[in-house]
Amino acid sequence: MSSTTSSLRRPVVPPAAGAASQAGRASHSSGDFALMSSGASSSDASITSALAAKPLRRSWTRRPVLLVQLLIVALIVAAWEIGVQRGAISAFLFGSPTGVAKAAWQMSLSGELAEHAAYTLWASLIGFVVGTIAGSIPGLALWYSPYVARVVEPFLVAINSVPKIAFAPLVILWFGTGLTSKVALSISLTSIVALLAAFQAAKDTDPDLQKMMVSLGSSKWQVFTKVVVPSSLPHIISTFRINIGFALVGTVVGEFISSKYGIGHVIFVASALYDLNTVWVGIFSLMILGFVLYAGIDLIEARLLKWKDKTYAPSFQM
Amino acid sequence: MSSVIATTEPKLRVRDLHKSFDTDHGPLRVLDGIDLQVQPGQFVSVIGPSGCGKSTLFNILAGLIPHDGGEIELDGQPTTHLRGRVGYMLQRDLLMPWRTVLDNVIVGLEVRGVPRAESVERARVYLDTFGLRQFENAYPKALSGGMRQRVALARTLLPDPDILLLDEPFSALDYQTRLFLEALLVKTVEQAGKTVILVTHDIDEAIALSERIFVLSGRPGRLKTVHDISLSTRSPIEARRDPRFSGYFDTLCQELDIQTSSQMEHAA
Repeated sequence: MSSTTSSLRRPVVPPAAGAASQAGRASHSSGDFALMSSGASSSDASITSALAAKPLRRSWTRRPVLLVQLLIVALIVAAWEIGVQRGAISAFLFGSPTGVAKAAWQMSLSGELAEHAAYTLWASLIGFVVGTIAGSIPGLALWYSPYVARVVEPFLVAINSVPKIAFAPLVILWFGTGLTSKVALSISLTSIVALLAAFQAAKDTDPDLQKMMVSLGSSKWQVFTKVVVPSSLPHIISTFRINIGFALVGTVVGEFISSKYGIGHVIFVASALYDLNTVWVGIFSLMILGFVLYAGIDLIEARLLKWKDKTYAPSFQM
Repeated sequence: MSSVIATTEPKLRVRDLHKSFDTDHGPLRVLDGIDLQVQPGQFVSVIGPSGCGKSTLFNILAGLIPHDGGEIELDGQPTTHLRGRVGYMLQRDLLMPWRTVLDNVIVGLEVRGVPRAESVERARVYLDTFGLRQFENAYPKALSGGMRQRVALARTLLPDPDILLLDEPFSALDYQTRLFLEALLVKTVEQAGKTVILVTHDIDEAIALSERIFVLSGRPGRLKTVHDISLSTRSPIEARRDPRFSGYFDTLCQELDIQTSSQMEHAA
């Protein structure tokens, strides 16, 4: 996040073009062109240096973020462990860090953990990708016809307002207890969010920009592909983060209800057996899965939206 | 200059143009019989109080909205609109933040299906002239306001439009930058022989840049007067030093002021 862009250092000097460098072509050699040229080289040079400039040094970038984060985790784990040792925290109801570590180690050795994690990751990833595509494309396409959009809108709101988890038993009935039902649940959660977000983003496309393109001779399809889609992309990608969470929820709920595999299944079975340490292994595994998926989205975002200012740090002192 | 080409066929002729919008309180007349005539290569301005329908006029000419009545002729040929044949430039630079400077400039050729290599070659001529060549791969976020508007000007000029429609293109810029861009604009359109219609609130800018000024009255927009401006120079800065400049300025101010006060009487 420290890759603060040069826009923070916009030069204050008035921009000046190298127009005067073409003075030979000017039929009227008036004074003001010459006047401009004197300022041109220096201001353009300062802009160039600003483009290559290092980000503003700010105190928070130099503070050790990761170290503090690790310290917080260590403190919580230590407090938990000491609490269990001293008997202040019930190991039966809450498990213990050493117990969790032992359970995790055993499940890793047997390959059980990797198998379940892969199942959950796979189901939620497919659900996320299919749900996002199945939602975003029609969402963007609704821009094409305001009439269809108006007809469809209340239905979308209605579907969105139903807690999709309520469909879970139905989905298991329709799609069985295998991977398909988990994917289907994830899709049902993610696609509607993606659709509404994409539609809203497409509606918010700058009308002046569309006007400008039409005046240049663009067709509606060109306005769509060259303006509406790229300008909606940041909003669509920002809903990826929400949808990654929803995809995991859909899969895990599916695994709770009926499954032989998956982290959700592990948690469900272990809690039925009062094996709290294994429950924690499942929960922490989901956290790690979430982390990995988020990191993937950061990569996609950095790649697709390199034209955007990525920092959320203020460019001024407060 | 205009006297030489006065005998030739006008580039653009607008006759008796009407437009009204439907509102909750019935139709609202915005343009009420506008007549304009612009010679090829001429630089004209349209000034008037706010609400006189300047932007509506431009939207009609650019083919963004239909008109209710009247005729538009380009090179003597009747036409409904000039979509795809005009360069339309607004106060906002409207650069696409996801495109580099170069890709923003070539967008007009891109939508016409011109091969990229050819577009890039033609774009570089403008980028060189406008001092933007070294920034061609930068994204707009890295540019200052004046540079962004230069990119917008290059984008407007690149498809070689018949007519440039400039809707207060410089009003968001600081004075120094504006003077500079005015000079760049006049020089560029003169070299390319472009016909320009500029809408502005700025009387000063209109006189400094134009060969002819159309004054519109307040809502509904009607053509009030036409002034031919003749100054010794086409340079916007020199023009402001011309002894006749203040004379034109006073005349136009007076006209706009009279309209403003009469408007207030109507409202009262």
